[in-house]
Amino acid sequence: MEEIPVLEMKGIVKIYPDGTKALKGVDLTVYQGEILGLLGENGAGKTTLMKILFGMLHPTAGKIYVKGEETRFKSPADALANGIGMVHQHFTLVEVFDALHNIILGMEGHGMFSKIDVEKAKKKLQKLMDDLNFQVPLNVPVEELPVGVQQRIEILKMLFRDVEVLILDEPTAVLTPLEVEELFQVLRKLKAEGKTIIFISHKLNEVIELTDRVTVIRKGEVIGTVKTSEATPQILARMMVGRDVVLRIQKPPKEAGKPILKVENLWVKGDRGEDAVKNLSFEVRAGEIFGIAGVEGNGQTELVEALTGLRNLERGHVILNGIDISGRSPKELYELGIAHIPEDRTHMGLILDMTVTENAILGLQWREKFKRWKGTIDWNKAKRHTNNLIGEFDIIAPGVDAPVKSLSGGNQQKLIVAREVSKQPVLIIASQPTRGVDVASTEYIRNYLVKLRNEDKAVLLVSADLDEIIQLSDRMGVMYEGEFMGVVKPEEVTTEEIGMMMGGIKYEEIRK
Amino acid sequence: MDVGSILSILITSLMAMVPIVLTSVGAAWSERAGVVSIGYEGVLLMSAFFGGIMAELTGNAVMGLVGGILTGIVFGILHGVLTVYLKGDHVIPGIGINLLAMGVVPFGILAYWGTAGQHQMAVTMWHWHTKYGDLSPMVFITILIAVVTWWVLFKTPLGLRVRAVGENPEAADALGISVEKYRFWSTVYGHALAGLGGAFMSVDWLGVVQKTMSGGRGFIALANMVFSGWNPLISLIGGWLFGFFDALATWLAPQHIIPGQFIRMLPYIMTLIIVAGIIGKARPPKADGKPYKRE
Repeated sequence: MEEIPVLEMKGIVKIYPDGTKALKGVDLTVYQGEILGLLGENGAGKTTLMKILFGMLHPTAGKIYVKGEETRFKSPADALANGIGMVHQHFTLVEVFDALHNIILGMEGHGMFSKIDVEKAKKKLQKLMDDLNFQVPLNVPVEELPVGVQQRIEILKMLFRDVEVLILDEPTAVLTPLEVEELFQVLRKLKAEGKTIIFISHKLNEVIELTDRVTVIRKGEVIGTVKTSEATPQILARMMVGRDVVLRIQKPPKEAGKPILKVENLWVKGDRGEDAVKNLSFEVRAGEIFGIAGVEGNGQTELVEALTGLRNLERGHVILNGIDISGRSPKELYELGIAHIPEDRTHMGLILDMTVTENAILGLQWREKFKRWKGTIDWNKAKRHTNNLIGEFDIIAPGVDAPVKSLSGGNQQKLIVAREVSKQPVLIIASQPTRGVDVASTEYIRNYLVKLRNEDKAVLLVSADLDEIIQLSDRMGVMYEGEFMGVVKPEEVTTEEIGMMMGGIKYEEIRK
Repeated sequence: MDVGSILSILITSLMAMVPIVLTSVGAAWSERAGVVSIGYEGVLLMSAFFGGIMAELTGNAVMGLVGGILTGIVFGILHGVLTVYLKGDHVIPGIGINLLAMGVVPFGILAYWGTAGQHQMAVTMWHWHTKYGDLSPMVFITILIAVVTWWVLFKTPLGLRVRAVGENPEAADALGISVEKYRFWSTVYGHALAGLGGAFMSVDWLGVVQKTMSGGRGFIALANMVFSGWNPLISLIGGWLFGFFDALATWLAPQHIIPGQFIRMLPYIMTLIIVAGIIGKARPPKADGKPYKRE
C-alpha cells in the first residue's frame, strides 16, 4: 500500500544570513490523520523546519509537497490557503480583542465597510466548538483568559480556516498538567475527525503518550523516525541527545572546598507570573564547576537572573560566603564577588556601539584604579587595563578604541569573560558562555572556566549544550520545569539518562 | 451672563472644535493602525496656507478645503513611506514637517500675497449668519466624520484589521493581512483629516491666513486623542470641550473678573481635567509607533 502523504518535505536546507546552518537537508513525511511527534533539543531545528512549512521562513534549498504536488509558500497566508495551520509557542493573538474577533480576523465576511455580522460568526463558531466538544468564552478580551484557553483560541482560529494539518510548537510548555490533559483530548478528537497534527516537543512522556510516529531531529538533521508503539523513553532519549562526548578539556581531579554559594528553597516567578523556579536548593563549592543542564525555558534564565540581582526572589534564600544576599542589587553583588557572564551577549553583556575600552571597564568604572580626580575616569589607565586584558585573553580586536561590534562573536565573548574575571570574583555565573562562539574561542573559554575552578573559584555553569555541561561539570543538576530532576556527577550517568531527565523523568525513577 | 452670551459661546465653541476634532480623529485612526505622527501641527498650518491659495485660485472655498485635504495627503504619504515602508522612526518626520511649516508659511504669505505674516482671504465659505455668530456646515460634517470614523473603526472588517495591525502586527500578518498596506493608508487618512481641519481655519472659520494660525492645535489634538483613549467619538466630545472653554475664555477676557493669564489657561486645563477624569487611564495600541519587520 503506497499512501500519498498529506505533506512531504524533501532535502530542506536553511542557512541563515549570518552563516548558521540550521537545517542540513531534512526529509519529513506526514500522513493524513496521524499525530506526528517532532522531537529534539533546543536549536535542533524543529521550529525552523516548521516555520518553513508555515511559510514564515524560506528554505535555502529543498522542496515541499502537499498531497504529492510541489508547492511554494511565500507567506503564512499561502500555507493557510493550502490547509496548513500553526500554533506558535508564543501566541499571535490580539490581546485586547475577544476570542470571536481574533478568530474571524481576516475572514470577517463580505464588504470591508459593512457591519461585521457578529451573531452569524458566533453561531458558526459555536457549532465548531460543539462539534469538537470544547468551549472558549467568545466575548472576553483574550488577555483576561488563562494561557490554556488562549491556546484553544489559537487552535480554533486555525480550524475556522479549515486547516487539515495543524502544527503545534511546544504547546505544553506553558500549560498546567490539567490543561495538558485537556489539550491532548482535543488533539485526539481532531485526529479522529481526520485532521493531521504535527506535535513539536522535547518532552518524552508527552510524545509517547500522544503521537503515532516520532521523527527525531538533532543539529539540523533527521536522526530517524520510529513508530511510537515501538519506542521507549530510552530509545528516544538516545536519539535526541545520545552522542559520543569528545573529551578535549583537561580537567585534573580536585577536591571541592567549602561552599561558596548556597541556594535554599528558592522560588522565582517568570515574566508571566508563573513559578519558573520551584523550591530549588543546591550549593556551589570553591574549586568546583556546578553545571545546570536542561532544555531552555525550564527556569534557568530566571534562576540566573535571581542570583545576579536582576529578578526578584519570591521566597527562599541565597547565601554567598555565609552572607545572605537575597534581594541585593547587582552592584552590591558585584562588590561581594559575583561575576556574571550573561546568556545574551549582545543585549546584556556588551554595549555594541561603545568601544572595547568602555566595555572592558563596564561595572568597574567607579573603581579607584580608574579614577583621576573629582570622579572622572582616567582613560589612559582604562586603556592600559584593556590592553592587558586583550593580551592575556588573546582577544583579536582592531584596537582599544574600536567599537565592540567590530569584534567577532568569539572575541566579544572573550572580552566579557576577561572583564568579569578582572573583577576578582569568588563566584562566576556563566550562562550559555559559548553559544554562537567559534570553536577556538569555545575551547579557550571552557579551558578558562576549568582554570578558574583549579584556582579555587566557584563556577556555576548554565548551558543548553549538553556536551559542555558533561565535559566541564564536577557536579550537575538537570532542570525541568523549575526543578532538578536529579543532581549527579556527569561520569556516573549515561547521556541517555541525562536525556531522560531533560525530558522530565526524575533520576530516582530512572534508577529504579 | 444672559442667554445671548451663552448661545454665542456655544456657536463659537462648535467652530473652534472643528480643527481639533478632525485632527484628533485622524490621529486616532492612524495610531490605532500603529503609526504615530507629531507633524499635525505643521500639517494644519500648511493646509491653512495652501488651502487658502487654492480657494483664491479657483474662486471656490470648497476647493480650498479640497486643497487642504490634498496637502494633508501629501504629508501623509511622506510620513507613511518613511515610517511604514522604510521602517523609520515615527517622531522625527513630524519634527521635520513642523519645522518646514514654520519656514514655508511665513515665507509663502510674503511671497504669494506680498503681505507680512497675515493675509485676509478674498474667498471664504458660506455660513449661516445668526444673531449670535456664524455657523459653518463644516461643523456638521466634522461631527459626521467623527461618528462614521468611529463606526468603521469598531464595527467593520476594515476597522478590525486596522486595529489588529496596530495591536499585534505579527498576528495580522500571520492571517494574511498586509500590515504595510493598512498602516500606510491609515497614515494618509489621518493626515488628510488634519489637512481638512487646517483649511477650515483659513477659508472657513477665521477667513485669514496667519503665520502662527495653527496655534498649537495639532498638539492639543494629540493630547485630546490620548485622553480620549484613541476613540473618535470621545475625541469629538473632548474637542468640543476645548472649543467651549476656548470660547468661554474669549468671552471672559474683557470682563476682567479673573486675570487674563488664568483665563487663557482655561481651555487647556479644563479639557485635560474633564476628559482625563472621564476616561481615566487609557492604554495605547500595543504596537503604536513600532515599525513592523518580518523576521
